[in-house]
Amino acid sequence: MSFRVDLVEGSRIALRSLSAHRLRTVLTTVGVGIGVATLLAILGIIQGLNTSFEKQLESIGPASLYISKRPWVQIGNWWEYRNRKNITMEQVEAVRAQSTFAEVVAPWMSNEEDVSFNGIDLTAIDVTGTTPEYAQVAGYDVTEGRFLTGTDDDNLSSVAVIGADVAGTLFPHSSPLGARIRVNARPFTVVGVLGAKGKVLDENQDLTVLIPLKTYRALHNGQKSHTIGVKVKSPELLDAAEDELVGILRRARATPPSKPDDFAINRAEQLAGMYNQLTGALYGVAVAIGFITLLVGGIGIMNIMLVSVRERTREIGVRRALGARKRTIVLQFILEAVVVSAVGGLLGTIVGLLGAKVVSWVTPLAATVKASTVLFGVGFAAAVGLIFGIWPAARAANLDPVEALRHE
Amino acid sequence: MLIQLSDIHRTYQVGTEEVHALQGVSIGIEKGEWVAIIGQSGSGKSTLMNVIGCLDTPTSGRYLLNGKDVSSMVDDELADIRNREIGFIFQNFQLLPRETALSNVELPLVYRGVGAKERRAKAIEALKAVRLEDRMSHKPNELSGGQRQRVAIARALAGEPSLLLADEPTGNLDSATGEEIVKLFEQLHSQGHTLVLVTHEPKLAARCPRAVRLSDGHVVADGPGPQVALA
Repeated sequence: MSFRVDLVEGSRIALRSLSAHRLRTVLTTVGVGIGVATLLAILGIIQGLNTSFEKQLESIGPASLYISKRPWVQIGNWWEYRNRKNITMEQVEAVRAQSTFAEVVAPWMSNEEDVSFNGIDLTAIDVTGTTPEYAQVAGYDVTEGRFLTGTDDDNLSSVAVIGADVAGTLFPHSSPLGARIRVNARPFTVVGVLGAKGKVLDENQDLTVLIPLKTYRALHNGQKSHTIGVKVKSPELLDAAEDELVGILRRARATPPSKPDDFAINRAEQLAGMYNQLTGALYGVAVAIGFITLLVGGIGIMNIMLVSVRERTREIGVRRALGARKRTIVLQFILEAVVVSAVGGLLGTIVGLLGAKVVSWVTPLAATVKASTVLFGVGFAAAVGLIFGIWPAARAANLDPVEALRHE
Repeated sequence: MLIQLSDIHRTYQVGTEEVHALQGVSIGIEKGEWVAIIGQSGSGKSTLMNVIGCLDTPTSGRYLLNGKDVSSMVDDELADIRNREIGFIFQNFQLLPRETALSNVELPLVYRGVGAKERRAKAIEALKAVRLEDRMSHKPNELSGGQRQRVAIARALAGEPSLLLADEPTGNLDSATGEEIVKLFEQLHSQGHTLVLVTHEPKLAARCPRAVRLSDGHVVADGPGPQVALA
């Protein structure tokens, strides 16, 4: 007898047996379904989190390099970073003049300051002194008014461009343009409002105030290090650009050849690495919980299959007497288990997707599910049926036909 | 010679004890014969039936079925031999309760890999032979005991085996219905089928042209049915 015939007959028997025990089938199916649903909901939420993080990274700029004294992800002695020489305006000019990969170069400095208007105070707002190129490097749009200009910088003007959330808080009912806000008790005229950008790793990008770089330096007349944002022509050039920048900066900073770099070149990927480190273990535990739930469903299947084999011992004896080979019996019972679990997997997939959607409605977590996840859910459930069906099926096939026929 | 059993032994291990169910049985059965195997319970007749039906293999000895040595076959080969050569008729019918009479009769052909159309045609033919063509779509629990046994006989016939092997076929039937089944066997015998009938009822064995009596795993008599059965 061919495998095809085994398969057709096996499926027919499996379906008949399942429809004969509807309640049992439904309960077993629910067991697997819950497992798949849990796993998919967890995977969906994780995917959603990852997607939203990727979007956040995009807002940092996938094709940008950030030169600063300290790396974003710090390893080693903090005082070694602290004692590094500041990044000066001369180094900014060197980068501007020499880098062939840079499309835009923007220097900036920032600090947390108090910002107020008309009795409303905002504390610890990120105040950044920078140049017109900053908009391109950091990816800000101006929704009202204008961005900083070279003239603002040259004149050391007391003008400010404010982030969307600063504008919303200080000016709930009026346009901020032309208003005089106070930054660290000094008056600044608002000339522009930035479009909303959202958060990156919980840091609100819209609670910010931008002022001209020279104005900022005049306010903080001490020595302070610049950050240089370099937007590269395309993301593929990041590595080449980084190599080039290392050379430019080592020369400009006169770093001795024997010493390692005394500056850091950061990029969005480093945040991704940090993110993965932070969330990897958590995801692992969540996925493990999903798998355990599915395992419980699988044990449910095994249990019910063992009952089914016992109940149908005589039937197995009859089939064997009439010429069914062992593998035919094995296939019959495995198919039964696989059908139950695949149906459970399908139902669980639907519930899991709905679950992920509900989570994304009622919580700030975004949940997205890829088509491949659905296939994975159904396929995985079927595999659970296969694995947990093998043992009961083998037991059925290895029954002695004489004994099986005598079974009451 | 359809069946040739030479010095068949079958020994079981029951706990620490060895049970010698068959101790050197030698029988030959020709095509077209109708033979009763008779004996008390514990005489070894059930074991002999299982060996003849290829459900069990002898511990030693040689069993030629239709010229093929089945005593040393592996499980898959035995399954194929049962499928092609043997039509079983059991005391308690052994029909699949959830399947219709027709599906039950089709079963041996399913395992032979016969296509659906041909399978159906042959099954209907077999049901006609036992005069049950009007009960084809009934399930076993919708049929009387005699009808169930006729379905079982049709199932045994459907595969056109070389041997019909019946185990106490009238044991679960009242005498009138049992008589009906015996009549059916007589008819099948007259059509040239080979029948082996295992029973403990002397009256039934006496109806067979030939009977073999077993006792303690040995053949103690072999001859015309009435003589052996009623001795």
